[in-house]
Amino acid sequence: MQPTSREMQGMPPSMPSMQPPQQQQQQIQGAGLQQFDDTGASSHDDFFDQVLSSLPWADLNHGNAKSPWDLPGGQKLEQAMGEEGLRYTAGPYDESALLASRLRQHQISAGAGGKPMVLQINHQAAQQQQQQQQHMLLSAMGRSAVGGDSGLLPLPLSPGSVDSADSRLLVDRSRNDADPPFKSPTSSGGDGLYNGFAGSLQEAAQAAAAANAQHFHIPQGGALPTQNFGAATAVGMGQTAAASGAAGGGAAPPRQRVRARRGQATDPHSIAERLRRERIAERMKALQELVPNANKTDKASMLDEIIDYVKFLQLQVLSMSRLGGAAAVAPLVADVPSEASGGRGGGGAGNQAAATAAAPGGGDNLTLAEHQVAKLMEEDMGAAMQYLQGKGLCLMPISLASAISTATCHSRPGIHAGGGNPAAMPHAPAANGDAPTSPNMSVLTGQSAMANGDGDAARPSAKDLLMWHNFNDDVTKLFLLELLVKLCPARLSSSRTGFGPGRPVSRIRTIKENKEKNRCQRHHNL
Amino acid sequence: MLALHFLRALVRINQTSDPSRCIVAQRSRRIKLAAYASIALAAGRRRAWSRAVLCSLHGRRACRVRALSRRRVSSGKKAKGVHPTEQREGGGQVGELRRLVPGGRSMELCTLLEEAGSYIQCLTAQVQLMNMIADSMSK
Repeated sequence: MQPTSREMQGMPPSMPSMQPPQQQQQQIQGAGLQQFDDTGASSHDDFFDQVLSSLPWADLNHGNAKSPWDLPGGQKLEQAMGEEGLRYTAGPYDESALLASRLRQHQISAGAGGKPMVLQINHQAAQQQQQQQQHMLLSAMGRSAVGGDSGLLPLPLSPGSVDSADSRLLVDRSRNDADPPFKSPTSSGGDGLYNGFAGSLQEAAQAAAAANAQHFHIPQGGALPTQNFGAATAVGMGQTAAASGAAGGGAAPPRQRVRARRGQATDPHSIAERLRRERIAERMKALQELVPNANKTDKASMLDEIIDYVKFLQLQVLSMSRLGGAAAVAPLVADVPSEASGGRGGGGAGNQAAATAAAPGGGDNLTLAEHQVAKLMEEDMGAAMQYLQGKGLCLMPISLASAISTATCHSRPGIHAGGGNPAAMPHAPAANGDAPTSPNMSVLTGQSAMANGDGDAARPSAKDLLMWHNFNDDVTKLFLLELLVKLCPARLSSSRTGFGPGRPVSRIRTIKENKEKNRCQRHHNL
Repeated sequence: MLALHFLRALVRINQTSDPSRCIVAQRSRRIKLAAYASIALAAGRRRAWSRAVLCSLHGRRACRVRALSRRRVSSGKKAKGVHPTEQREGGGQVGELRRLVPGGRSMELCTLLEEAGSYIQCLTAQVQLMNMIADSMSK
């Protein structure tokens, strides 16, 4: 083709190898595109500008130049590309590899396989005008790429925007510098361009196309981009790295394709990473349904909730088992207060040997128990604690118990919020009585609290916590209080006595210390 | 299934401890172990945590070896995944969860979450069962 030869001569010497095909394109596109020739020697930025400016311009021309270009040019293109492919696959890709990502190498290596695609594509292109437009753009891009940049990434081409990919390539190229790299990257980039073009145009994922498709993601619907230019310019403005996600004009599939393509850069790892993350997200969602109060969207807080719930459940099992242990030791006594709506009445109220006066019946039991405990406390804290434990009851600060009882909105005579200042003294309890005439024991019958049964989401858990009234275990106690405080923070904070998380824990600790001492003594004695 | 195991264990505990005077704590511990055993049995061998619980309870060498070998194999495969998992993702929380879920030390985050889910399910069922028992006993 004489014009091509002429143009070849005109092309800057720095791009000898790439010239023939691009020359053809130039020729095909006609006069308007010749400006590329002129600017061929200039920096890549100029090319970029040229291309961008020429895009609309080329659009105008496609009526003229398409048809001549299609068949003859296409064939030439094929041939040229074939040559190029052979040349450039063996060419100096090292520099481009350094500058560009591995993707390009893939593309380059796949370029050979993509050649047949190009052939087919060109055939297809001959049939549609849109393809012609793309061809033009591609050639324009290619030319600019020729004169253009070094580190141009052959970005994935979305189905709807080959040109966007081209423009992305252009953008990349414009960003890079250095003339020396121009040759190889441009060659490889051009190759990539052609490959990408081929891949994007190819609808059916054929065997050869598979290699390209991997990189270019081309499950195209078959619809060729109609507004390539707009997309191209838009993407051209964008950045390459972001372009993958922002795939101008691309629908969700191209975006996913782009991402997967990027992932392919470090092939197995990132894909496996993504899979793993998806699986974890699935599991978290499933856990959200299991765990109550799981309206947290944050992963960290969700994990916290899960952890707390598991701890809570384990403590429940522990306390229930303790309850069972205590209850089964002595025969169950119908110790339930009459006003209590059922409930377990203090865990079956297993009376131990110490409980002498516990006559079954009505609400007397509790008062009796209280008196008993008060008496015991005067003598020996440990015994008192054991007595309580045998009854399945616990000692609790008045403020806390009252707060909880008010929270549960149920005034139960059974619940005596005793001001335990047990740390004070065995003899002191009687002196610590509050306004309620009941003794200072805080005898919480968990079940009675449970029976309040409101629909409040927080309450069931508070009630559940009140259920376990065995405080042999320090952890249990502390955790119980912690949880209670956590569950009813608002109510507790509003309590009159300024109940705080620190205090009850210390109180319980002191109780526990006394108890431990006593228990140890007892064991030794035994 | 759960109830069956648990009630049987309870009966056994009652029978064994009735004649001799038993400390409450010891008995409670037995009940607790029975509870965990029953939920592990209910979960079956499909779950890693149930296997771990059963192995820790029974203390049979064969069981332990089997479990260990299984864990070794899986941890060998995922050894790479375990540590980066621990370090990367919500570090302290994941470690906490590992401690809570039986057998969770040598699990990836993914399997850990799955096991935690089934563990929570079984624990909830067990607690409900115990509640029902206590209710019926006290009435």
